[in-house]
Amino acid sequence: MTTQTPDGTIRVTGSGIRFKRNRASRRSFKDLFAGRTRRTRPGEFWALRNVDFEVAPGEAIGVVGRNGQGKSTLLKLVAQVIYPDEGAVEVHGGVAPLIEITGGFVNDLSVRDNVYLTAGLHGMTKHEIDQRFDEIIGFAEIADFVDTPYKHLSSGMKVRIAFAVISRLEEPIILVDEVLAVGDKAFREKCYTRIEELLAGGRTLFFVSHNERDLLRFCKRGLYLDKGALVLDAPIGEVVDRYNADYGV
Amino acid sequence: MTSAALSRRDWSPFTRYRRSLWLLTTRDLKVRYSTSFLGYFWSILDPLVMAGIYWFVFTVVFGRGVGHEPYIVFLLAGLLPWMWFTGAVSDCTRAFTREAKLIRSTTIPRTIWVTRLVLSKGIEFVASIPVIAVFAIATLWSTTPAHLHWQAVFVIPAILLQTVLTVGIGLIVAPLVVFFRDLERAVKLVLRFMFYASPIIYGLGDLPEQLRPIAAINPLAGIFSMYRAAFFPQELDLFAILMSVGISFALLAIGIAIFRRTIRTVLKEI
Repeated sequence: MTTQTPDGTIRVTGSGIRFKRNRASRRSFKDLFAGRTRRTRPGEFWALRNVDFEVAPGEAIGVVGRNGQGKSTLLKLVAQVIYPDEGAVEVHGGVAPLIEITGGFVNDLSVRDNVYLTAGLHGMTKHEIDQRFDEIIGFAEIADFVDTPYKHLSSGMKVRIAFAVISRLEEPIILVDEVLAVGDKAFREKCYTRIEELLAGGRTLFFVSHNERDLLRFCKRGLYLDKGALVLDAPIGEVVDRYNADYGV
Repeated sequence: MTSAALSRRDWSPFTRYRRSLWLLTTRDLKVRYSTSFLGYFWSILDPLVMAGIYWFVFTVVFGRGVGHEPYIVFLLAGLLPWMWFTGAVSDCTRAFTREAKLIRSTTIPRTIWVTRLVLSKGIEFVASIPVIAVFAIATLWSTTPAHLHWQAVFVIPAILLQTVLTVGIGLIVAPLVVFFRDLERAVKLVLRFMFYASPIIYGLGDLPEQLRPIAAINPLAGIFSMYRAAFFPQELDLFAILMSVGISFALLAIGIAIFRRTIRTVLKEI
């Protein structure tokens, strides 16, 4: 069954995840080991609940919602960097997460070392990185800074090199979480072109944005999250209209 | 789909684990040695200074050794592995908090965040072994020369057993610190106590007869006795070693269980 599911498929069934409302709320040893089934305690809330959807390979999905309605949490569940408290999230094939992209970069190491480290952690072999290295540096436009310690780069350069690395991972699923808000206009356009190339190559895209134009540009289908629930799963135009009707400007 | 992506998926979980572990470990070592001028020497300077102090106190101030000659070799054979243990365990208290951003963006097996700390400190320990050799050779010109015995082969099982023990404790400590921040300081305190409770500045045989079985409960006692056997074969204590094997593997099993149960909450918390 699993082997027949094509790469790039995402299946989310009855998923929910809860968080503590504040750090200070009491926690006992019993909670810690209670696993998934314990009941909700006061001071906790469901960031997402009863979320069901399925994504076919090559689909481009835009996630819409106000701040704090669970968009980033949903992306993290798909990236499998957190796990649901109920339900299941099945992801077939690797994920290239453009979330917290600069997170893996080490300040004291050179740009070169950082590229090898980050790409390596995402599963590229040394040989593959060798082949793509010039392309990555060229894309980030920082050829003069290859041996500069990462900490001396400007914040724009940091995001550029991070984007260049992650977007070169040959993974069937890409997640984009508003990282492109940084960087100048020319580079942003370059990133968008790259995303379009990846889409044309049959990748599955998960895109979180508040920018209506970007959403309509990349996505065919939209997921509208409100108060931790999936309110609407429809073509992107319909989803954007509904969002504007609810919280319209 | 390119062939590169296809080949990647064929990797066994073990290969993937080994690769990621090695990447992060070499990163740690690179950062440590590229940012400081003395690099490698810092990792041996710390135990050397400590060994110097204890050697001075016991053999010069009190005017007599603990009965193990040459004392400096005896001391280093316990101190260097202790540095590995204490360094790795205290690093483990920050295993998740220091790398929170990286942990939130990659899906590599989570135990790597602990095992890489044990491995990088372990590599530093192995790299510091020549220091003992230098001192052992130096004692050849003294009245009490050190002799290497065949029991030096016990160093190999000692390293393996210490890895099991340290990973086990790391897997217990690392996730719990995320929930109970006080634990970080408690661990530091316990480690300081353990330094004196373990046979480092003394040997297991120096303890009063009735205390020895209690001291052998400390899994480090058996491990250190194996390291020391290279120069001091009479230190080899079979009972302590068997205790150590049992307790180390038990701690590893407990660690794996705790880590499994808590990891999903840890990921939400960091």
